Amino acid sequence: MIPFDYRLAPDVDGAVAAATGWGGVAFLAGGTNLVDHMKLGVAAPEVLVDISRLPLDAVEELPDGGLRIGATVRNSDLAAHPAVRRDYPVLARALLSGASGQVRNLATTGGNLLQRTRCAYFQDLSTPCNKREPGTGCSAIGGYTRQHAILGASAHCVATHPSDMAVAMAALDAQVTVLGTSGRRVIPLVELHRLPGDEPHRDTVLSPSDLITAVELPPLPEGTRSLYRKVRDRASYAFALVSVAAVLRVEDGVVRDVRIALGGVAHKPWRARRAEDVLRGSPVDGSPADEEVFRRAAEAELAGAAPLAGNGFKVPLARNTVVSALRGLSREER
Amino acid sequence: MTVGQPVERVDGRAKVTGDARYAADRTLPGMLYSYLVMGTIARGRVTSVDTAAARAVPGVVEVFTHENAPRLTSDQHFMPLQGTQIHYNGQIVAITVATTPEQAQEAAELVRVTYAPETPKAVIADALTEVYLPANQEVIVGDPTAGLAAAEVTVTQNYSSPPHHHNPIEPHATVAQWDGDHLTVHETSQGVVNAQRTFASAFAIPQTNVRVLAPYLGGGFGGKSPVWPHSLLNAAIARQLGRPAKMVLTRAQMYSIVSHRAEFRQQVTLGAKRDGTLTALVHLSTQQLSRTSENMYSHSISSRMLYACPNIHTRQQGVRLDVPTSRFMRSPQMASHFGLETALDELSYQLGIDPVELRRRNYTDVNPTTGERFSSRFLLDCYKLGADAFGWSRRNPKPGSTRDGHEFVGWGMATEAHDHNANPSSAMVRMAADGTVLSQTATQDIGTGTYTVFTQVVADALGVPLNQVKVELGDTNFPPAALSAGSGTIASVTGAVNAAALAVRTAVVQLAVSNPASPLHGLPAEQIITQHGYLFSPDRSRRESYRAVMARHGAPVQNTSSMTNARGYSTGAVFVEVRVDPRYGRVRVTRGVGAYDAGRVMNHKTAGSQVIGGFTWGIGNALMEHTVLDRRTARVVNPNLSTYLLAVNADVPDIQAIFVNKPDPVSTALGARGFGETPITGVPAAIGNAIFHATGRRIRDLPFTQDKLL
Repeated sequence: MIPFDYRLAPDVDGAVAAATGWGGVAFLAGGTNLVDHMKLGVAAPEVLVDISRLPLDAVEELPDGGLRIGATVRNSDLAAHPAVRRDYPVLARALLSGASGQVRNLATTGGNLLQRTRCAYFQDLSTPCNKREPGTGCSAIGGYTRQHAILGASAHCVATHPSDMAVAMAALDAQVTVLGTSGRRVIPLVELHRLPGDEPHRDTVLSPSDLITAVELPPLPEGTRSLYRKVRDRASYAFALVSVAAVLRVEDGVVRDVRIALGGVAHKPWRARRAEDVLRGSPVDGSPADEEVFRRAAEAELAGAAPLAGNGFKVPLARNTVVSALRGLSREER
Repeated sequence: MTVGQPVERVDGRAKVTGDARYAADRTLPGMLYSYLVMGTIARGRVTSVDTAAARAVPGVVEVFTHENAPRLTSDQHFMPLQGTQIHYNGQIVAITVATTPEQAQEAAELVRVTYAPETPKAVIADALTEVYLPANQEVIVGDPTAGLAAAEVTVTQNYSSPPHHHNPIEPHATVAQWDGDHLTVHETSQGVVNAQRTFASAFAIPQTNVRVLAPYLGGGFGGKSPVWPHSLLNAAIARQLGRPAKMVLTRAQMYSIVSHRAEFRQQVTLGAKRDGTLTALVHLSTQQLSRTSENMYSHSISSRMLYACPNIHTRQQGVRLDVPTSRFMRSPQMASHFGLETALDELSYQLGIDPVELRRRNYTDVNPTTGERFSSRFLLDCYKLGADAFGWSRRNPKPGSTRDGHEFVGWGMATEAHDHNANPSSAMVRMAADGTVLSQTATQDIGTGTYTVFTQVVADALGVPLNQVKVELGDTNFPPAALSAGSGTIASVTGAVNAAALAVRTAVVQLAVSNPASPLHGLPAEQIITQHGYLFSPDRSRRESYRAVMARHGAPVQNTSSMTNARGYSTGAVFVEVRVDPRYGRVRVTRGVGAYDAGRVMNHKTAGSQVIGGFTWGIGNALMEHTVLDRRTARVVNPNLSTYLLAVNADVPDIQAIFVNKPDPVSTALGARGFGETPITGVPAAIGNAIFHATGRRIRDLPFTQDKLL
């Protein structure tokens, strides 16, 4: 246990001010990931700014039919919210497929987005890790890589982002509201997280004193269906080997809108634009014959996959999961 | 009679309210806290340890390294901190001691160790040329070569299973306190008497100077049977510093210093006649050993004891690796049993004989290795009861023949079998002057229900209500009794508890019939009935309560008895249904039925819980559980319950447990046999066999993760 300073944020602006000017600072909300990391020695902030009591815990239905989710809304509360269950089943399912009931009761929306990789080498201080200690090397490459990336990785880092919620939000074109020292800005969720490149220690585009205050979901047009499908090593309480968030609107037998995001495969929620391009405008009739185009779409996305020694299975698994998710949405009966 | 009834756990309330005090709950005045520093290489030497920063942490009392640690030896284990040599990753390289646990941990994180590392060998595949046969690890019965030559059909296959860790929910903890040369230890121990011996030997003091307490345990699974070096070091530190000392392991630390189930490879060859009769059984295995021990714990006993086969060859090879020493882990015979029961399934398809029928045809009443007759064996009943309850007769034998939507449905089965320990044990029963009863014995309840069953045994023997009986366990001040391991607690200790209770009953009855003040005066003692807390005349026209007899007597009545029992062999049959979704390679276990011959069932609830626990663990073992070693460093990659996956509730279907419930005539434990380790042994094979039935794909390497079935 390393001593640290603790500040209770008086208000939203005060939280950002309190977090400015430190060498190592972290916002504390649910603490479900940060506190673990402090115990492991992975994180050693000089100061914790506690934002758990800020008035950011509301879910608001917006006039345009969208939803604004406060940053400290608990995962359990968000999953149970009537508007989420009614309009964004992909998000409700994703939330409920993550962690355990106890963790979801604590974990917050902003914290879920900012949780860090569960790469075993990142968590083990005795092993080199570019994400934990830039420039020391990547221990996962050549090691145990079952949970690691097949898309968008680099020679410096092959970690995956562990969130389920963020994958659903990526497919929903969510917008993240951030308050920083220079004011408020809005970042598309798909641009919040980074690919590792040669700076894997930077998970996101945020700076340490940037505070996520809300996530907004645009409305989905009438007739849009969505779902989340997660494949993992046990039926509950495990991170995704592969997950798929899919949003689909078929009109007159043609795909009008499709948005697909993959989890468990990359350093960020992976928006499958290539697959979407294949699908948009394609005829779909709810029959098994649809699988052909779904498979082509998945394969188009996964053509760029570069699996590691221990996770080649994720490529066919991701393909099959995309196909089955789209089948689940396109069939007449659910 | 309460024996056999599904009596609720008598310790349940204490456990859920926090009244039950575990080793780590003990806090003593002036106590210090020890914290371990774990090494980060698997092979090589420590070249220096810098403790300056650690010593500067406020509250730190001492930092021990190999240079200044107390000198200790152990006749059982490699003792760390006695030199610079490193034998496995996660070896203890320093211990910090401070006035709070937080200070000790902070100091531990500041200890800087430098090494001269060498390249380790982490897995069996790294050292195939170094496989050897340790002494006394080969058994040959009959003429296996001739048996194979006489076979009309043979199956030869290789199987493997990874290392596993015990992972009891309660971490290991030890609290040591010295008073002169007397030592008291609160220890997470499955055997306080064994622990007492180990501590006494390590510190060269009489055994009677050592008191070990373990009244409650949050699981052990064999990992808490020995006293590990960290406990001896903590006690040595307490003595050297002159203050009580506590050490509680973290979950991650439990992955290197409190043992595991060894990585295991095996080849099973079965020879059979067309009718399924086995002519030869050859079982070659290789298990991981360590640099400091060649002890083996995964034995091929099933191949030597379970089936009628005139020609048997088991050869248990080892290979030394730069990993910690393995040890017994729940149902140690299950690793080899998986190979045998899978090979039998493969043989059944080759012969076109139903898997249950194949096993029936090779049933034996006689131990095929020793020729001795089993004292009682109702395995055929288990096959029938289990198959009927499961609906096995409706099974279409053709693999891949049943589909439900995207899923393939398969049914599989396996025999379950494990032998059990029986160690001489003693117990005390005392009826106080107020009629309440206390029983004490130095065995343990490791979570299996020992408190409850002994309460039933005492209550029945005396004829008093359960709530008039209190049982105390896990203290070397009590009469010595068995280690709680090898499914041996009930088998070993029940007889002594029962005998002591019966002796007290006899004495109290005598007090009544010999006293003119008693309404039972003058009746023959042997005709007195005891029930509901009363002594009755044979026609029940006269009675007197125990309470009244004891009040008149005015003093306790006490007896201490000893008993031995024979080792035994509890068997059963397990049937499972799986659903396999080939899109994800996902296997779900959707039904489970087990039928067992465990002798007399003492408590259907606690025995049934052993089945549920074993089946649940078996699902995890089959589908997900494995310790992952980084082959480059021989370091455990998944030392936590987030990434060391065990089955969770959502993985486990409803499980039906059926018991033949016929007393074993030679068992002194009221006809009960040891049972805890039997229900799990066949589950991984049954699941693999069901996967084959569902899909036509045979997976021979545990666990059956999704990548293997895509």
